[in-house]
Amino acid sequence: MRDSKPPLAVICTALCQARSVLSSIPYSYCQSRCARTLKIRSHVARGTTFRYTHLHRAPASLSTLHQPMEAKIFRRWAGRILRLCTRRSSGAPAPGSGATIFALSSGQGRCGIAVIRTSGPSSGHALRILSAARDLPPARHASLRLLSDPRSGEPLDRALVLWFPGPRSFTGEDCVEFHVHGGPAVVSGVLQALGSVPGLRPAEAGEFTRRAFANGKLNLTEVEGLADLIHAETEAQRRQALRQLDGELGHLCCGWAETLTKALAHVEAYIDFGEDDNLEEGVLEQADIEVRALEVALGAHLRDARRGQRLRSGAHVVVTGPPNAGKSSLVNLLSRKPVSIVSPEPGTTRDVLETPVDLAGFPVLLSDTAGLREGVGPVEQEGVRRARESCNFLATVVASVGAQSPSDSSQRLLLVLNKSDLLSPKGPGPRRDLPPHLLLSCLTGEGLDGLLEALRKELAAVCGDPSTGSPLLTRARHQHHLQGCLDALGHYKQSKDLALAAEALRVARGHLTQLTGGGGTEEILDIIFRDFCVGK
Amino acid sequence: MFYFRGCGRWVAASFIKQQFPLARLSSDSAAPRTPHFDVIVIGGGHAGTEAATAAARCGSRTLLLTHRVDTIGQMSCNPSFGGIGKGHLMREVDALDGLCSRICDQSGVHYKVLNRRKGPAVWGLRAQIDRKLYKQNMQKEILNTPLLTVQEGAVEDLILTEPEPEHTGKCRVSGVVLVDGSTVYAESVILTTGTFLRGMIVIGLEMHPAGRLGDHPSIGLAQTLEKLGFVVGRLKTGTPPRIAKDSINFSILNKQTPDNPSVPFSFTNETVWIKPEDQLPCYLTHTNPRVDEIVLKNLHLNSHVKETTRGPRYCPSIESKVLRFPNRLHQVWLEPEGMDSDLIYPQGLSVTLPAELQEKMITCIRGLEKAKVIQPDRVLLLLPRMECNGAILAHHNLSLPGYGVQYDYLDPRQITPSLETHLVQRLFFAGQINGTTGYEEAAAQGVIAGINASLRVSRKPPFVVSRTEGYIGVLIDDLTTLGTSEPYRMFTSRVEFRLSLRPDNADIRLTLRGYKDAGCVSQQRYERACWMKSSLEEGISVLKFIEFSSSKWKNLIPEVSISTSRSLPVRALDVLKYEEVDMDSLAKAVPEPLKKYTKCRELAERLKIEATYESVLFHQLQEIKGVQQDEALQLPKDIDYLTIRDVSLSHEAREKLHFSRPQTIGAASRIPGVTPAAIINLLRFVKTTQQRQAAMNESPKTDQCLRDADRLQERQL
Repeated sequence: MRDSKPPLAVICTALCQARSVLSSIPYSYCQSRCARTLKIRSHVARGTTFRYTHLHRAPASLSTLHQPMEAKIFRRWAGRILRLCTRRSSGAPAPGSGATIFALSSGQGRCGIAVIRTSGPSSGHALRILSAARDLPPARHASLRLLSDPRSGEPLDRALVLWFPGPRSFTGEDCVEFHVHGGPAVVSGVLQALGSVPGLRPAEAGEFTRRAFANGKLNLTEVEGLADLIHAETEAQRRQALRQLDGELGHLCCGWAETLTKALAHVEAYIDFGEDDNLEEGVLEQADIEVRALEVALGAHLRDARRGQRLRSGAHVVVTGPPNAGKSSLVNLLSRKPVSIVSPEPGTTRDVLETPVDLAGFPVLLSDTAGLREGVGPVEQEGVRRARESCNFLATVVASVGAQSPSDSSQRLLLVLNKSDLLSPKGPGPRRDLPPHLLLSCLTGEGLDGLLEALRKELAAVCGDPSTGSPLLTRARHQHHLQGCLDALGHYKQSKDLALAAEALRVARGHLTQLTGGGGTEEILDIIFRDFCVGK
Repeated sequence: MFYFRGCGRWVAASFIKQQFPLARLSSDSAAPRTPHFDVIVIGGGHAGTEAATAAARCGSRTLLLTHRVDTIGQMSCNPSFGGIGKGHLMREVDALDGLCSRICDQSGVHYKVLNRRKGPAVWGLRAQIDRKLYKQNMQKEILNTPLLTVQEGAVEDLILTEPEPEHTGKCRVSGVVLVDGSTVYAESVILTTGTFLRGMIVIGLEMHPAGRLGDHPSIGLAQTLEKLGFVVGRLKTGTPPRIAKDSINFSILNKQTPDNPSVPFSFTNETVWIKPEDQLPCYLTHTNPRVDEIVLKNLHLNSHVKETTRGPRYCPSIESKVLRFPNRLHQVWLEPEGMDSDLIYPQGLSVTLPAELQEKMITCIRGLEKAKVIQPDRVLLLLPRMECNGAILAHHNLSLPGYGVQYDYLDPRQITPSLETHLVQRLFFAGQINGTTGYEEAAAQGVIAGINASLRVSRKPPFVVSRTEGYIGVLIDDLTTLGTSEPYRMFTSRVEFRLSLRPDNADIRLTLRGYKDAGCVSQQRYERACWMKSSLEEGISVLKFIEFSSSKWKNLIPEVSISTSRSLPVRALDVLKYEEVDMDSLAKAVPEPLKKYTKCRELAERLKIEATYESVLFHQLQEIKGVQQDEALQLPKDIDYLTIRDVSLSHEAREKLHFSRPQTIGAASRIPGVTPAAIINLLRFVKTTQQRQAAMNESPKTDQCLRDADRLQERQL
């Protein structure tokens, strides 16, 4: 027996692999049992003396220590582990290499059913987390599952899910399809939930096809069709990216990328030229300061974005105006349910009341606010203050009669004059010097169609046309990369090893340039040679 | 007839030593007594020597053609080797059993590792080298290399024949014509002639063609290359004047002492030839406003600076430093040229002012007030490195003032990653001719060209180093896919996978491949690398497996700053990541399995480095796999991008692809202007071609790309 014992390193390697295999298969019955078995086993081996003989004896002790059932399970997994090890050594691609990607696979915009697909080793894990189930559904069978957000537990949708274990799947990897109801809010919710699962990230253009191709899964005609599709996808994404980059977020991202590139260039210069050429004092300190500032800015932005994410809706619409103008009535009319209490008394609404609604096909968060007036009780004043505050960061404002137009013009404003039923048909209309406005009667519903049409136009301008591309999708991508960037910057702080610190900045920059484009080495070298006198 | 010109003794000695027939005689009726070799290397510089010895190590009968045997191994510019990025290249050259690292370990006079405090991934091994010793040692090595013949002679032309049908290219090279009209035939030819095309030396307003005075430079080879359609570009560089050692007041300057102990360049050496206390110091001084003034006042006398020829973005000369960064003090390193040399090389003072102004400028500098610039000797001034009997430039003469050089280079996008030209089969380019600068960059290309020229002769697949495997791969990939518009120099910032491609692990990355795929590595070196690899793997496994609670670690190793608040067990590998922990302290804490790993100092140090980067490398490995998958997808070599109809490509993408001729999807995706959509279309094309081939062969082959991917996986650490 003793002669045939394998070398220590082989056992260690096998056990480490076993551990990693087991930890990649969470929740299943076998795994939990098997993990316990292994734990015991490694416990034996982990004695302070770390005696080789302990290791050697451990497997034999298994059968005596545990129930036959568990021993059987262990053997099954041991077989799998062994297969894995041998496959590794024979050089075949190890299963589960590469990240798990997800994307909306069906057409974008409003539709009956939307299909979201994942591919990669964590697909099964993601499915279990979203459907809160311990087991995977039977392979290649449609099953109905309630999907919910893993962080908040908030239900997202009842959806058909299909589980395709690799290699018998579209890409050859483990795949999951979620067939969800096609509203933008639902799609966005599921995408964001997927994005929050560790190990998952949004797919880049054509990535599913690339994987399928790499695994030999596509026949010729399929590739032919897909090539066109990817061309379209790339184009759409490029246009989408451009549109996004025109906006405020785009400017922010570009600014951040620029700061980060410069900081990285200075760190790189310090590595490549710090010893032989004279760089000015404080190059690293300056980079540190810039990275800190960037971290703060990104963190603030992401916290802000998370507030929006909770609502899973595109635009924010605020109804504001003087007291008793009928704001709450308008909100109730638009949301078709009694959200706010209405009364003829001014100042009935004292707080900001929010309700998610679907306006002309757009997911919208509608806010009712306290009427803007001075000199009332402290509670209402606080309500007024909050109303003003909410106007500051929200995209679309529907103002009832008499509202002052906000000073900065980045917000869109619709002026709505309520109570048109009080105007006598033959009497004088509203004053001539008013800016463009809409007439509405919440009582009779007159003018509602005109308001909805006007709102649709405004929302389309804010959210993008839902028929050409989904801002929700892009937002998930943005968030993923910004979060990735922030995480990487955290590693920069920790590293004493400058090569490791620079690597953190490189990863962070990689995430940002996914959003802004660019990102080559030459850019870095350009900055180095522009900012420093280095050379022979 | 074989033409020996003055070195017959050495050549013959080399023949007798190897008991090798004096070159196989060609049986062609036209040239009954023409010598025939496997590989001819033209040029005996840093690329040429590495190429010739690499080809010989691979088993090819090799001829090194150089204008003068006594200039082999000449360090034509700065008296130092290595540095940040360049040191990495040297370790990789050494891992492939190249020469320069071993020779430097025998010839240095000041060894220092740069970036010591910035992490082992960016350590830069560097040494001041004794020029004379380096040349001597290199020549000894070259003339004692089995299968390698050295001959003096200048090449006038290439012999071109019909191309092989199974490869792309207009024609095939089958030998060279020397200036005396004699011919030598060979299966492969490597051109490493440095700055040979239309080289011009510039000092002040004077310009001289870089060729022997009075000689009309023969431009046969240059003309042949141009006629064949090679695209050339123009670059410029420069070198500082040398200063007499005894005229410098060192006592008032900053002294830099060498490392103790010295770290050798080569994996096979435990130490260098010289003790640290016997090594020479370097000195640091700075320029001052008076230097700026002299430069700025005399710009009208300085045609090199005025010329529009593209210089590098970095600052190669004191003029560019003063012009682009005025009102600053610039560093000047005073470096010894050798043990018994009375010359000092002022690093950072590369200048093209007229000679008398150079001295005036130098005497403004602190410590150099009485400095003597070595005056030019007119006769020696324009001695070239004349492998091609043409306008070849030499920096090699030590008795020059500072001067500038302008020269043509061949656009490196015209060569493949194996350094063979697209246009002419079996013709390889290596070194400065491809637009690079520096000994190390040249040596790295030389090794690759030598190996591939040899593999081509034996009809084996080329030996290509990927970007994911080494700095050599980054260097060649950058050159062949992006080209260059300034002398290309290696920086660590160019390397995406810098944390994986470290100086310490070059042997694991390349020695094993060099042995198996190229056959250029000695058995001894291979066995050493194998032992190191398995020891490292075993050590890492054991370190991963030892787990204690953090409080227990704290008890075992009190100096570790581990936080004891976490209850999870901590692996020994994670403990080793802490700066204050090394293998010795770890082995003291857990002696049983770990003690044996501290016996070999190199092993212990390398385990510590592996632990430092372990967590990041885990993530980087995924990325590397992605890149390697793309690189495993070969594009057909004979694809005509301009006319091909099956692939939908934009006109711009077609032109870019046509010029660079990327060999893999990975390389194609790095060419600027080639969109992701174009890449997908190319992928489709690869698949089509493969299926068509499979149908033609009617053999149930596995998917080519998958097989290649498997091969790559195997190669990984």
